[in-house]
Amino acid sequence: MMSNNPYIPMPVTITKIINEVDTNDIKTFRLTFQNKEDEQKFKYLPGQFAELSIFGKGESPIGIASSPTEPGYVEFTVQKAGVIVPGLVTAALHDLEEGAEIGMRGPLGKSWPIEFLEKKNIVVVGGGFAFTTLRSLINYMLHKDNRKRFGEITVVYGARNPGLLLYKNELAAWEKRDDIKTNITVDKGNESWKGREGFVPNVCKEVAPSPKNTVAVICGPPIMIKFTLPVFYDLKFAKENILTSLEMRMKCGIGKCGRCNVGFKYVCSDGPVFSMAELEELPRDF
Amino acid sequence: MAASVLKKVVIEKINEVAAVLMQKGTLIAPVKEEAGANFREIKDPKDIYLDYYNSILSPKMVFFPQMEDFVKYQLAKPKADAKIVEMNLKPAFLFGVRPCDVKSFEILDKHFYASGIIDTYWKARRDNTTIIGYAFDLDKPVDSADFYNTLGIGAADPEGSDIFIVKKDKELLLKGITKKGEALLGELSMLEKADAKDEKYFTDYVKKGKEKKTRFMKVDDKAVAKKYEDIFENNEYWTKMSDACLSCGVCTFVCPTCYCFDICDETIFGKGTRRRIWDACMFTDFTLETSGHNPRTKVSQRLRQKVCHKYSFSVRKYDVISCVGCGRCTRSCPVNIDIYSMVEEATKL
Repeated sequence: MMSNNPYIPMPVTITKIINEVDTNDIKTFRLTFQNKEDEQKFKYLPGQFAELSIFGKGESPIGIASSPTEPGYVEFTVQKAGVIVPGLVTAALHDLEEGAEIGMRGPLGKSWPIEFLEKKNIVVVGGGFAFTTLRSLINYMLHKDNRKRFGEITVVYGARNPGLLLYKNELAAWEKRDDIKTNITVDKGNESWKGREGFVPNVCKEVAPSPKNTVAVICGPPIMIKFTLPVFYDLKFAKENILTSLEMRMKCGIGKCGRCNVGFKYVCSDGPVFSMAELEELPRDF
Repeated sequence: MAASVLKKVVIEKINEVAAVLMQKGTLIAPVKEEAGANFREIKDPKDIYLDYYNSILSPKMVFFPQMEDFVKYQLAKPKADAKIVEMNLKPAFLFGVRPCDVKSFEILDKHFYASGIIDTYWKARRDNTTIIGYAFDLDKPVDSADFYNTLGIGAADPEGSDIFIVKKDKELLLKGITKKGEALLGELSMLEKADAKDEKYFTDYVKKGKEKKTRFMKVDDKAVAKKYEDIFENNEYWTKMSDACLSCGVCTFVCPTCYCFDICDETIFGKGTRRRIWDACMFTDFTLETSGHNPRTKVSQRLRQKVCHKYSFSVRKYDVISCVGCGRCTRSCPVNIDIYSMVEEATKL
């Protein structure tokens, strides 16, 4: 199917599935385009998302985990979701094997503001599963054509335990590089864990990045955000220089269906990326 | 106005007009149903019911049907066989729309058409349709729920229609408002030319329409938007307003400017349809996330969302109050919640 209709998904093939965590409920899906035209039209930047579609189940908005510097495919890291209401699409995705065809609509939403980030130091703070579009951003900045456009890059990434860290091979590769400072932490280690133990907010406090010409990009579970923000305010980061990505229930992904609005903004089309200064303007309704 | 075409026809002959429109495409007009009037596709010109006050469901459903099929699919391994549902639209004629409802199309245009990504379906249906507006009957009383005056709309405002109709005794006067409307009038040979008296009658009627009083309060778009920002967390107000609300959502279904929808797959024995259907911010699971988190679990939060969307967020985003004062939500509400009174109360805070 090919269409200019924004509601019609393009066909893609799952060409690779990576089981990311010990609990087997988070997998990265590599999708390749079936039509060359779709691939050419799919121009995205880190921070954007797409609707993954499985006929008979529905659609689910998922952040893009790959970087546009990796051509030929798009990756999504998907958690098998749902405690109270089962996640139909994510469960179905997890049952699929390499070679299966699914649908995709996108890219959707606003990206991390790349132009705004240029020439600045970047502190990337992530927690648990909410590291996907941050991984996209980091890989984008680290690409050889892009690295000199950004200042120092510092990463603080934490998970509950070592088995829950995403992208383990990449984390190891980043730790070996000297153009990115990587601080990986877990709430609680195990026998084989040689790295840091501690909560993300405390690690941020230790790392204590200077607010000078620096932007913090923070994504994580609400509890992590709640305790991490004060750390950055104490470090004198301005609200304009703290960025995050919001979640709301979505359907259309293009600002039409009225589901994800918070005040006069639609999270899908005006976000999902917002600065803390922008969020402060919105009513507490998310 | 003088340059535009005015024609007339005796009311009985409206069947002939309808017959021609039905030949040209799809004619949609009010018909009498058990519960009241509604806009439906006309199969027999005799069904057209022009002696109506206003329809129960708003005519937005002509451009934004309650169900719109996107894709038909057959589940199969290794992949589903899916086909886009083509719209195959014939030219449509939406006949007999009241001025406040015509205004609602302009408001929804701002959302579906004039900002961000264009909604393919809204645009296709809108571009395809000629709107034939119809003034309220000024000799009949205004329904007590109506408050379109408050939103700056008159009972006989021709703006937004392609052709606008005014009733004169046993005749209808038809005025071409847009080029599209004028062209159509030219093609309807059973219409007679109107004379100078008719011209004056039409102009006076539009003027008198402005004086026809519905409930009215002075509402400044920006001020009311700001007011609702200020009282967003006034729980006392929102709890009081929503105390009786059943979250039934009927207000949103009859509303001409409510546009929230769901996209869902319906599969029976492996065959299915992906479609959009109307949804409502008044329903508890509207914002329920898969994680279990729901930002609007209380009825007060949901009613707040609905009212603020129309009177605050829409002003901020589209520079217009997204309400036309048609009174449908008030008439339909099983517990008599009245948005006009809510706004009135808010302005006093």
